[in-house]
Amino acid sequence: MRRFYLLFLSLLLAVAATADPQYEEHLHLEPLPQGLLLASFNFKSNATLQSFEQQHFKYIPRSLGQILQHARTKELHLRFSSGRWDAESWGARPWDGKKEGGTGVEVWAWIEADTGEEASLRWITLNHALSGLFCASLNFIDSTRTTRPVHTYEPVGDHSNTSLSNLHLLHGTLPREVVCTENLTPFLKLLPCKGKAGISSLLNGHKLFDASWQSMSIDVRPVCPESRSGCIVEMEQTVDMVLDIERSKRPHDNPIPRPAPADQLICDTSKSYSSSEACFPIDMSSMQSWSLSDVFGRPIKGSCLANDIRGDRSESVCISVPYEHQVFSSQGSVERKDPSSNHRCYVLPENDAFEMALPQQESQAVLPRPSPPLYASRSFTGHGQERGGVQSLLTNPSPNAAVSFTYFETLPWFMKPYLHTLKAQIAASPSQSQEEIIKSIYYRPALDRQRGTQLELQISVPPASTVRLTYDFEKAILRYTEYPPDANRGFDVAPAVIRLHPDPANPSSKAVYLRTTSLLLSLPTPDFSMPYNVIILTSTVIALAFGSIYNLLVRRFVGADEVESFSLAKVKARIKGRFAVIKDRFSMKKEKKTQ
Amino acid sequence: MSESSSVERRPRGPDDSQSPATPLVATIPKQPPPESRESIRVRQFVILSFWAIVVFLGLPIWWWTTSVYRARLPLQEMEDWAEGKSCRPTFPLEIVVESLLLQEADINRIVRATQHALDDQNDFSPHHLRLRVGSTYAAANSSQQQWQYDSPGQNEPRYQESNRPKESALTVRLAPQSGLATARAELRTHSTLLYILYPLALAPPASSTSFPLANFVATQLQDLFAEEQAIIAHTLTLNPSPYGSHQPPASAGQLASTSNVPMTVSKDHRSGRPRALSPQLAARLASRATRALKYAPTYHITISLFTPNAWPSSWEIESAIAEYLTPLLDSASIISNFTIDTQTQLYASFSPSVQEPQYDADRGVWTLRQEDLSSFINAAEWPLSPSIGSGPTLNFIIYVPDSATTPLTIKDSQTTSWLIPQWGGVMILNPSLSLGGTSAQASKLSKEDIQPALLVFSHQLLSFLGAPQSPPSIPLQLQTLTRVRAASLFQSASSTLGSLARLTVALPSIAIPKTVSTAVEVTLDHLEATCNALKDGRFNAALEHAKTAEIAAEQGFFEKSMVGQVYFPDEHKVAVYLPLLGPVGVPLIMSALKELRRMWLTRHMSHPGP
Repeated sequence: MRRFYLLFLSLLLAVAATADPQYEEHLHLEPLPQGLLLASFNFKSNATLQSFEQQHFKYIPRSLGQILQHARTKELHLRFSSGRWDAESWGARPWDGKKEGGTGVEVWAWIEADTGEEASLRWITLNHALSGLFCASLNFIDSTRTTRPVHTYEPVGDHSNTSLSNLHLLHGTLPREVVCTENLTPFLKLLPCKGKAGISSLLNGHKLFDASWQSMSIDVRPVCPESRSGCIVEMEQTVDMVLDIERSKRPHDNPIPRPAPADQLICDTSKSYSSSEACFPIDMSSMQSWSLSDVFGRPIKGSCLANDIRGDRSESVCISVPYEHQVFSSQGSVERKDPSSNHRCYVLPENDAFEMALPQQESQAVLPRPSPPLYASRSFTGHGQERGGVQSLLTNPSPNAAVSFTYFETLPWFMKPYLHTLKAQIAASPSQSQEEIIKSIYYRPALDRQRGTQLELQISVPPASTVRLTYDFEKAILRYTEYPPDANRGFDVAPAVIRLHPDPANPSSKAVYLRTTSLLLSLPTPDFSMPYNVIILTSTVIALAFGSIYNLLVRRFVGADEVESFSLAKVKARIKGRFAVIKDRFSMKKEKKTQ
Repeated sequence: MSESSSVERRPRGPDDSQSPATPLVATIPKQPPPESRESIRVRQFVILSFWAIVVFLGLPIWWWTTSVYRARLPLQEMEDWAEGKSCRPTFPLEIVVESLLLQEADINRIVRATQHALDDQNDFSPHHLRLRVGSTYAAANSSQQQWQYDSPGQNEPRYQESNRPKESALTVRLAPQSGLATARAELRTHSTLLYILYPLALAPPASSTSFPLANFVATQLQDLFAEEQAIIAHTLTLNPSPYGSHQPPASAGQLASTSNVPMTVSKDHRSGRPRALSPQLAARLASRATRALKYAPTYHITISLFTPNAWPSSWEIESAIAEYLTPLLDSASIISNFTIDTQTQLYASFSPSVQEPQYDADRGVWTLRQEDLSSFINAAEWPLSPSIGSGPTLNFIIYVPDSATTPLTIKDSQTTSWLIPQWGGVMILNPSLSLGGTSAQASKLSKEDIQPALLVFSHQLLSFLGAPQSPPSIPLQLQTLTRVRAASLFQSASSTLGSLARLTVALPSIAIPKTVSTAVEVTLDHLEATCNALKDGRFNAALEHAKTAEIAAEQGFFEKSMVGQVYFPDEHKVAVYLPLLGPVGVPLIMSALKELRRMWLTRHMSHPGP
């Protein structure tokens, strides 16, 4: 995979040197084990910095461009993700993890401002505007969800040294946000072809959000190539998803999976219990046939702005399958196949639909993928409503090289870690001292209701070992109005971001990012009718006290036998008397009238 | 019942029920000892003091903690401004009359006579023209300056612009010319100079009292400012008083035709003028009112190129804007600021509700139905969101149709552009036939291709700003716009004050924070300043003050914390505190009633009634 991206990158560089395409798009497909398919969409558009600043928009959309200029944002990274990348079976992440975010929404930006307060104000403006543009709750990124990471992120654009001193990096996460179709639609509208032509016509919310894992990203950065004068603004949008081929192939009208009939099962006869009654079905999923319209629901509708300056069309779709495998593609497309590698790429027809089909394979259609440099998982420990603990397991699979990285965690203010309990141990040999694992700590403690905890650790994991990182925390009690509407669901804690440092010995190695999953923290949650109960109870107590004191003061106390006793006959007589009086008056009037 | 029994029982009724002092039944064993006066007094004091605490401490605290803050507003003053009682804005326009070929006395005579004629013709007194004598023959001689009228545009640079006072609206230059049959007036598109060319025969004889030249000049001036006068009158009479009884001013009947002749205003001065608003002018005023945007200090202009294909994917918009639009925006920048942004959008077809274009075989064009134009904008898919930042956005859209349906026009019409009031303009641009195909060169719109669109847009822009369509001179139009904007801002700020005053009275539960009263004060100050500036003829200053007043008035009216109405209705509050109010209130009220009844009884007993 990485080889492919390197090739891809060198190809891009070669293209960039000869011509200056303002827009290009690529789709890369790669089958994964267990009948899954990784689809990486990449859309790249650029504009000269001058035209961008004068607000003449072409391929960089006006809506986003104006927001960036209004908020004085020089570099923006926005991520919408859901699901979990299963590194154990799928291997290393696409794009080295640079184009993915933690579960929910993650955004970080370099904002130009003279002071930190000014940067915060512009950050708020930026998030409010982006929230309107992408229909996401980005406006909820306030100071408690904002951090200023020190070691974890570096600008990827080209900034001059003078401007870099005025840039402020701000980072915000919304782990609770559910990414869905309403985020994809504005995302597609930012593309020049808007999902009507080219590879973006494959993107559809039903498939994308049905995926096992998906990540949408937007990166805007200035690029100043050395070869030419003048800078450009580059905007890159990517969509990566892991689709279950079998699930995607299910017909729309009959989406419920049913077991195959017994006579269609292919049994694994190597199992000891295999007989005419018992059958262990062989996993056929990775060998099954599929086509683009099977998986995405429709073929690609022609090409989008694929003509470069010379009028040639560039390759837009690539697939990684073993060289000897057959892949059918529709007429009008051109296949380029490189015998030295396992990639083949296609030039799309200009106006006709493009379809690609893989017939059922005899052997596994999956190429081995590189293994990730680090495995990370994080979970809660402990019990009860008052305290808890966090445990992260960081495994270095390499047999001979140590791996060093930055572990970056942002915790909400109501989760208060005890830094003195922070421990790092090698799981196999607990005796090793902590200093050898944690090289340095950057810690910014939380302030109640103002900001969250920021923790950046420089960690080094020795070869072929697992480091267990633990710390304890205390749960705060929130105010009545601070609970979300579904308070008993719990509070999401943003994923930890891990940035692997490039190997100093190997200059071609690059930083790799990976993220843990988010955590669900349950806080002590009150009964929300409490305020009314309190008001009513207090009122009753006050009324009781008042009533007794007042009666003591006002009532006259007499002997028990002196009380005017209550008798029914007396009341009856009294009512009768009244009745008689009224009656008399009535009859008197009558009399007068007759007289 | 019989009469005798009722008579017999009558005295007994009240006796056995209401007078415990005379016991009827002797079997009551024991009575409590009579209460001492002291203990009765103590009990009365206790009840009284509890009630005093409730009434004088409890209720005020309740009132004070649950009431909303209402700042004091000068309601009467605000109403006065809204009704126009505080100020009657006037628009004295100063017009300089000069001639380097006439003697000063002659000019003075002409000016006096013209002024007389103007005053006769004018029937909207707040807007009036004041003539003043400018540089004369003598002055020109002293500065050794000479000019001779040859042809428009040639000798303007020689004229000393600095001689003219700043705020004069127009300069009239009288030039007697031999060989002319009738008088003629000429106004340039780019200056505020009105040339009056007249035959020497019309020159003022020293003794005559009838003055054809003066009448001619007066008519010309009246025509030039008729639309402005009408607009201002219209603006100010939107409010019933103080101009409510006033008839809309008279204006020139031929205004509509003159505006179509951009360079020369030439007309027979003897033409009769109708005293009522002409239908054309009335229609123009109405359309101006619907088209023009509300005043804002900044307008954003978005020029978008939409096409249902992948081409044209680029255009020379930057140089086109610099050439065709920027000069206009620069000159209009005294009134508002403008920002321009542009975008191209491919694969953007018009909205699906519009009927597909039909081929008109006679004209060889594809046509859209006129009734579909209102729904042409594809709001769901076209990214036409307003620009970021304060101020409204004006959208100008160039639509390049599919090559299969080119040329595309509107049914029963020659034009391909239309205007959406207060929103923007649309132009269907049918590119020349050379465009098209797949080569990169052809998919570019050149500056010349866009030119017609930008010219249409600049006309539309002026109408969005509310500029009058006459006179043809752009500087005069902008000056007029200054006065019209000042008048409308003045009017709208005043009426906003009135609305705020009425709102405060109508909604007693609404909170009025301190910022609102400050905003009202600022508005009042600046309205006063506007009024004074208008009286003095300082229109730019008036516009500035009116802007400030309008902004402050809007701030006051749209104060955020005022919008937040009472969250909990009073019933709700009472319901929540009923467990407190009930058990406390019942003993208080019962004891008070009991004590009052006891007092009434004792008084009744000691002073038995007749």
